[in-house]
Amino acid sequence: MKKLSHIFGNVVLLFTALLCILPFVYMILMSLKSTLNAYDFSFSLSNVTFTHYQNIFSDGTIGRYFLNSVIVAFAGVALTLFTSCTAGFAFAKLKFKGNNKIFLLLILTMLVPSEVILVPLYIVVRGMGWVNTFKALILPLPTAFGVFIMRQAILGIPDELLESARIDGASNRRILWSVILPLVKSAMLTLSIFTFIGAWNNFTWPLIITTNDTMRTLPLALTTMKAQYDVDVGLSMACAVITFLPPFLFYLLLQSKFEAGVALNGLKG
Amino acid sequence: MKKKKNILSVLSPYAYITPISLILLTFVAGSLIIAVCFSFTKYNIITPAKFNGLFNYQKLLRDDKLKLCILNTVKITVMAVPLQMIASTVLAALIASRKDTFLGKFTKAALFIPVLSSSAVVGTVWKAILNGGHPAVSFLFGIFGIDPTMLLGSSTTAIITLSMIIVWKNMGYYMIITLSSLMSIPDNYYEAARSDGANSWDIFFRITLPLLKPTLILNTFLAIISSMQVFDIVYTMTGGGPSMSTTTMVMYAYQLTFKGGKAGYAMTVSNVLMLMVLVVVLFQQRFMRREASEI
Repeated sequence: MKKLSHIFGNVVLLFTALLCILPFVYMILMSLKSTLNAYDFSFSLSNVTFTHYQNIFSDGTIGRYFLNSVIVAFAGVALTLFTSCTAGFAFAKLKFKGNNKIFLLLILTMLVPSEVILVPLYIVVRGMGWVNTFKALILPLPTAFGVFIMRQAILGIPDELLESARIDGASNRRILWSVILPLVKSAMLTLSIFTFIGAWNNFTWPLIITTNDTMRTLPLALTTMKAQYDVDVGLSMACAVITFLPPFLFYLLLQSKFEAGVALNGLKG
Repeated sequence: MKKKKNILSVLSPYAYITPISLILLTFVAGSLIIAVCFSFTKYNIITPAKFNGLFNYQKLLRDDKLKLCILNTVKITVMAVPLQMIASTVLAALIASRKDTFLGKFTKAALFIPVLSSSAVVGTVWKAILNGGHPAVSFLFGIFGIDPTMLLGSSTTAIITLSMIIVWKNMGYYMIITLSSLMSIPDNYYEAARSDGANSWDIFFRITLPLLKPTLILNTFLAIISSMQVFDIVYTMTGGGPSMSTTTMVMYAYQLTFKGGKAGYAMTVSNVLMLMVLVVVLFQQRFMRREASEI
């Protein structure tokens, strides 16, 4: 009986794993088939073609989308790290009037649901004249969650370490840079991964705030391409593969960091 | 000279919190203020806004499309949230009991792949799978008597299909949160129960589940809040159709602004959604506090 339920559990897990993976296998296989035989579903190695990928990268538009995605994701990570580490340091280790109150106010912004404020956010950014700019794509990326993560990590560093650095005449900036940051690398990595994936996968905000090809990001190619080549499943799947791969590769390399980051979200409540 | 240094050292902490404060103030607080102000105006993004008092709020009450969108949003929440919770809890329990086996690790990794993919990718790929007419896909769906190419075309099945894909995409996320809280339950609880002769069902329902309760409540609320804001999967899979049967509230606000030239009213709709989310958040706070006081 016990054995039977164990086998049943294994079957459930195996079924789930396949259910999660097979759609992506389908995506990859379809991206390697030429459009001509899109409805011939027998798959053989001799039919594998990379034409869709060649088309994507020779077509300047999608290459540009890709480049924009890279710029936005990396700049977003840099900006998030900068704002979160500086503020996290101040809230964790510096004494100033209103420390806790300001922190609480910032944390309250995490309650504001991001998709709900899309239209007003568009009006704000449009009012600044930033439609179709990198500023509009990058500057709204940092959140209070990053500050929260960095503050938690920095709180764990003993004050004695900072005191001894201060006695040696180190300024706050120097303490942050050479004492604190080396000790919270792990939290910084987790935050970077999450920011990168969030920025890379972001669909709605670029959809709203960019209107021309020179500023669009990769996830948008999936829908704008549809208008151009409605029936070309192979091309659209190749585009999906390119959008899918960077987060996936990061995940393969840093699986434990991802899980740590998601579990951190459990702390939010 | 000394005094100047003092002022600097008093002000310096504020310099550290200025960048993030400015960003959040501009984009989050700014958006909230704009949302409230413009909800009292007639505004089409192009010409200047005109104050029209409570007109938009009165319009809410007789807007049948809005009722439909609220209903669609509720439908997605009601279908997706319980399934997500059951699937993620069962899977977390199964994986926890096989945590060192290949199958356990493999399934855990596999479940996370949909989580880290863009909703745009998920939507596009699933749409291609359902509509692609691949014989293997037709066969698999055929087992359940379903024709996959019809799923997104009919207004009754489209929203069910979307909800299932939302479950498919997110269950790994909640599974990881539940799993990490499962792993923090000390082994000696289980050993004690086992030595008292409890079987694995007893252990699951009398030890694991009660200890997981705070995590499950948190997950449920996270899932509710995220289902209320569904947009990109709908945009890439159905565009809100057929005949508005999958238009969610966020989708409706988007369409009003960018397709209908009614940004003022769109913001009134956003505010309604915002209030709904806030009510859920308040409930969450109360629930969590009660849990905390029970422990």
